[in-house]
Amino acid sequence: MTTPEKVLTVDVPRGRFNLFTYLCKGCGLCKEKCPKECLIWAEELGAYGTPAVIPDDPQKCIACGICEQVCPDCAILIEKKKVK
Amino acid sequence: MSATQPILQPRMPKSWYKANKPHLFCPGCGHGMVLKALGEAIDELGIQSKTIFGCDIGCSLLAWNFLDVDSTQTHHGRTTPVMVGIKRANPELVTVAYMGDGGGYAIGSQHTVNAAIRNEKITVILVNNTNYGMTGGQMAPTTLPGQRTETTPYGRDPEETGYPTRGPEMIAAIAPEGAYVARGTVANLRQLKGYIKKALENQMAGRGFSFVEALSLCPTNWRTNAKDTWAFLEGKMAQYFPVGELRVPKQKEE
Repeated sequence: MTTPEKVLTVDVPRGRFNLFTYLCKGCGLCKEKCPKECLIWAEELGAYGTPAVIPDDPQKCIACGICEQVCPDCAILIEKKKVK
Repeated sequence: MSATQPILQPRMPKSWYKANKPHLFCPGCGHGMVLKALGEAIDELGIQSKTIFGCDIGCSLLAWNFLDVDSTQTHHGRTTPVMVGIKRANPELVTVAYMGDGGGYAIGSQHTVNAAIRNEKITVILVNNTNYGMTGGQMAPTTLPGQRTETTPYGRDPEETGYPTRGPEMIAAIAPEGAYVARGTVANLRQLKGYIKKALENQMAGRGFSFVEALSLCPTNWRTNAKDTWAFLEGKMAQYFPVGELRVPKQKEE
C-alpha cells in the first residue's frame, strides 16, 4: 500500500508547505479547517489512492499550521520562515 | 537542491511507533488526533519509558501498536481494571486506559464507575464518537436524539431508548476528592492536549482518578463529508456535550 516516499513541496510567502503522500488518506479535514480556504485536491494520490491536498494559490497560504495540527496522520509539515 | 540536505521527516510525536504509519484508522478518524494529543503530552512530560497503554475493544484496539510504549489490549471496558492492577503492582508506572464510548459507558460502565468510586490512580481517556464504529455504526449510549445509525434508521427516539450518557458529569458526581474530570474535543487539540497532560500529572502526583472524554469524529459511520463532519462535531455534539473541566483537584489551585 505504501508508495515510495514522495513529498509534495510548495513554497509559500511565509514558509513551505510539505505533504507526505504515503501518509495522506484524503479525508479532507484540513481542507475544511484552512482559514484561507486555499487547499484543493492534488493530482498526486495518497495512501489509499485518494487525492492528496495542495495549496491552490501559494500566495494565499499564510503557513499558520492549522492543517498540520488537524491532520490525524501527520501527513502535512509546515516549515515556517524565521521572522526577521 | 543539494544532496546534503536532510530528508524531510513528518512531524510526529516522539512516542509514536513510526513503523506502522499510516495507521489503521479510517480516513478522517478522530483517534489519530486524540493519540497525537496523547503522544505530545507523553513527550512533554518525558514519561515514554514508564507509560503503560491499554486499549479496549472496538476501534480503539487499532491503537495496539500505535504508540512506542508498552501496550496491552483487553475486552469491553476491562482495560480499566487491568490498568488498575498494573498500577497497584507497580505504582511508579503511568497507566493510560484508552477506550471508546461503547467500552466505557455501555458494557464496561461497571469498571469505569467503580474505578472512579475507589479513586484509583489511573488515567482514563474515553473517545466519544456517538456510535459503535468498528461493527458498522450501531447506536451507542452516546448517540444523540434523532441521530440516524444502523440500528436507529429513523433517528434515536429518547422515549424508547433514553437520553445520551453524559459520562464526565457522571464521573464528576461520584468520584471522591482528588479526581480530575474533563471533556475535550478534537476541534480544539491544544485544549485537549492540556487536559490530557493535567490528567497524567494528576495520576503522577497520586491524587486520584483522572478521566478525560474526547469528542471525536467518525465520518465513515456518520456518512458525512469533511464539511458536515466538522459541522456535526462543533454543532450538535458540542451543544449536548459541553466542553470543559468538570473537576479539578483542590491541591492544584493552592
